[in-house]
Amino acid sequence: MIRKPLKIFLAVSMILAIALIPVIGNGCSGGDNGSTEGEGTGDLKVGFSICYTGVAAEKGRPMGNAKLDCIKYVNEEMGGVDGHQVEVMWRDNEYDAAKAVTIINEIIDRGCLMFTTNSSKMMGASMEIANRADFPGFTVFSAPALTHPPQHIYGQMPDYGDDWAAFARYYLDNIWDGNGKPKMAMFLLNNPTGYGARDAARALAEDMGIDIIATEEHAATTISEMESLTRVKAMNPDVLYISSTPQPTSIIVQNAVALGMYPGVTVGCGHASLTSVLVELAGSDAEGIYGVYPTVNWGDDVPAMDKMTEYCQELHPEDYGNMDYITSWAEGLIVAEILRLAVENVGIDNLTPQAVEEYGFKALDGFSAGGLHGPVTYTPGDNRLSKSVRVFQVEDGDIVPISGWIEAPLIKYEDFDWFS
Amino acid sequence: MEQATGVRSYSYRQDMAIFRTRRQWIWFGVLLAFLFAAPLYWGNYWLGVANLTGITIIAALGLNILTGYCGQLSIGHAGFIAVGAYTSAIMTNRFEMPFLLGLVSAGFISGLIGMVFGIPSLRVKGFYLAISTIAAQFIIIWVINHWTSLTGGFTGMSVPPASIGSINFIGQSSQFYLIIVFVIIAVFLSNNLSRTRPGRAFIAIRDNDLAAQVMGINPFKYKLIAFFIGCFLAGIAGSLLAHWTGFLNAENFTIMDSILYIGIIIIGGLGTTIGPILGSIFIRLLQQAITIISPLLESTYPTLPAGFTAGIGPMIFGLVIILFLILEPRGLAHRWSMVKTSFQMWPF
Repeated sequence: MIRKPLKIFLAVSMILAIALIPVIGNGCSGGDNGSTEGEGTGDLKVGFSICYTGVAAEKGRPMGNAKLDCIKYVNEEMGGVDGHQVEVMWRDNEYDAAKAVTIINEIIDRGCLMFTTNSSKMMGASMEIANRADFPGFTVFSAPALTHPPQHIYGQMPDYGDDWAAFARYYLDNIWDGNGKPKMAMFLLNNPTGYGARDAARALAEDMGIDIIATEEHAATTISEMESLTRVKAMNPDVLYISSTPQPTSIIVQNAVALGMYPGVTVGCGHASLTSVLVELAGSDAEGIYGVYPTVNWGDDVPAMDKMTEYCQELHPEDYGNMDYITSWAEGLIVAEILRLAVENVGIDNLTPQAVEEYGFKALDGFSAGGLHGPVTYTPGDNRLSKSVRVFQVEDGDIVPISGWIEAPLIKYEDFDWFS
Repeated sequence: MEQATGVRSYSYRQDMAIFRTRRQWIWFGVLLAFLFAAPLYWGNYWLGVANLTGITIIAALGLNILTGYCGQLSIGHAGFIAVGAYTSAIMTNRFEMPFLLGLVSAGFISGLIGMVFGIPSLRVKGFYLAISTIAAQFIIIWVINHWTSLTGGFTGMSVPPASIGSINFIGQSSQFYLIIVFVIIAVFLSNNLSRTRPGRAFIAIRDNDLAAQVMGINPFKYKLIAFFIGCFLAGIAGSLLAHWTGFLNAENFTIMDSILYIGIIIIGGLGTTIGPILGSIFIRLLQQAITIISPLLESTYPTLPAGFTAGIGPMIFGLVIILFLILEPRGLAHRWSMVKTSFQMWPF
């Protein structure tokens, strides 16, 4: 006679075991998203540490889908890289630093040639181990601490500090027509999104001729910024710069309109703020605000757009329209290009992580990434792969590009005492 | 002496020994040999998992002393681990102090801060104390994020590898030896603590603090001691974690981690030494299994709704806790004890 709790336990165990039989079988034979894990000897093996679940899953999932879709495209339609299939080992880091550490160990252990992460936090958790092992990788969203000083970690796109630098340059050259220094007030989310912009302003504002008159912090859950805006209004600013996410940005913009500050001052924002969600939330109040973004829009006429759209609509239609999908499709293309350069330069039999870095990463020179973002080039001493953003403006409810690619200058953070 | 009907002790010393039979000594020796030879047959990945599990065991032992033995519920354990991690990082990075000094300082600073947040335990208990420890979690993380000159704030800070004398613990295998030594020390301390006067006082307070007071135990004093010891171990775990990952950011110490530690000691078995060890091993291996299975599920069942695997980790974690609470509320420690008992009379 089996006790009832034991029966329940056995039943649950049986169900789980039955459900996992095909999974285990599949695990032995490989095969996910165009990869052939565990299969073949000449394959180019790469590791993806993806925040597919956890608090960052909203961004991590479309990005994970995009890069896996892109590698599938590379393998199936482009015949791989120089005739060699790209073998992907991807792991869900759950946006958990401890897990990211075990994953990077596994990626190195399993003989991968390089790795990528989505977020700066996950790269932060992985980079020490990777740097100590001379193991190259790059992260889509970057932070200055990852690439300063430059070691074996690279940033795919400009960081939040670069956003500020590029916008400030554009503002001075194209918008500001007053005398003396323009007065800028900064509204920053209380995390690296905001502090990246703050650090760039701290490093460059004086030399560029911008007077930072206020630095106001807010939380992602803010519901009103009337108080901080009232303080700032008394200082008579020329420009408000917001480095935040769409919801707080919409509140700041709406509050600025309510206080009569905007229209009047110029409002600019970083790439984490500037999405279609911002326009939806702020409505007509968002008309005319500026922002920077490092990729093109969905539907833009660039070489990679058709194929990316086809794969997205077929495999992950829920991600269509999501800008994060674009960033990681580009990531997949860059991975393939790095591998192609490395194979071309040293041959498939001589590939090591160090060779991939030396002859792949460091050989990147003006790679277009299908036109999805700015040109990808390695510059000695600068581990940002793409350094360019475009300035956009909200016009009639649409986010419209108003500039070409603007290259953000390299900020030597490590030369400043205040940089940790 | 080991007999067919059990173990008979002829002196108090024998009765109190941790290893009471020759067979236990042999198993302990085999375990030590297995652990110290592990780098020979485990790759970096499994050594990394073992290192993380070892650090988790130390932290969970601390929480077990506080919650399992003394009955003081803490939902701020990740905050205390963060204090230890940052103390050690600051000592070794900013002030270039030796690792061992950083490690000990991490324990003491975490213990002292734990005592400060333990002061409300004089007046409140249960859920109310839990709320005050949640406050500890948020206050500690806020301070870390805003004391930029010392902690690097949101940017984070790098941590040099641990080193003792001329030995640098850089690779996973050398770190494994370092961590395993501290795990053994922590297990030994935790096991002995339960048999000392403070340990018995903790248990008395947990079972009924009024009755404990009537027996002459000062609850406030012993609750603070429990907070100190529990957070001291959290600090040691934090220090090892900092030198293991090599980079710190306050985002690595979330309230979800604090809840995870509570789950670990519930699954392992509250109020036992073996419980946190089994709970830590179980949860960390479960996490690894989910990490490996999620991508395979995605490819095996393409018809699953988008994002289905996104919820598997939290769902399984929740399901395991529910199953344990229903089927084995005394945790893996009790199951382990039953297995040992059943083998005692083996093959009969």
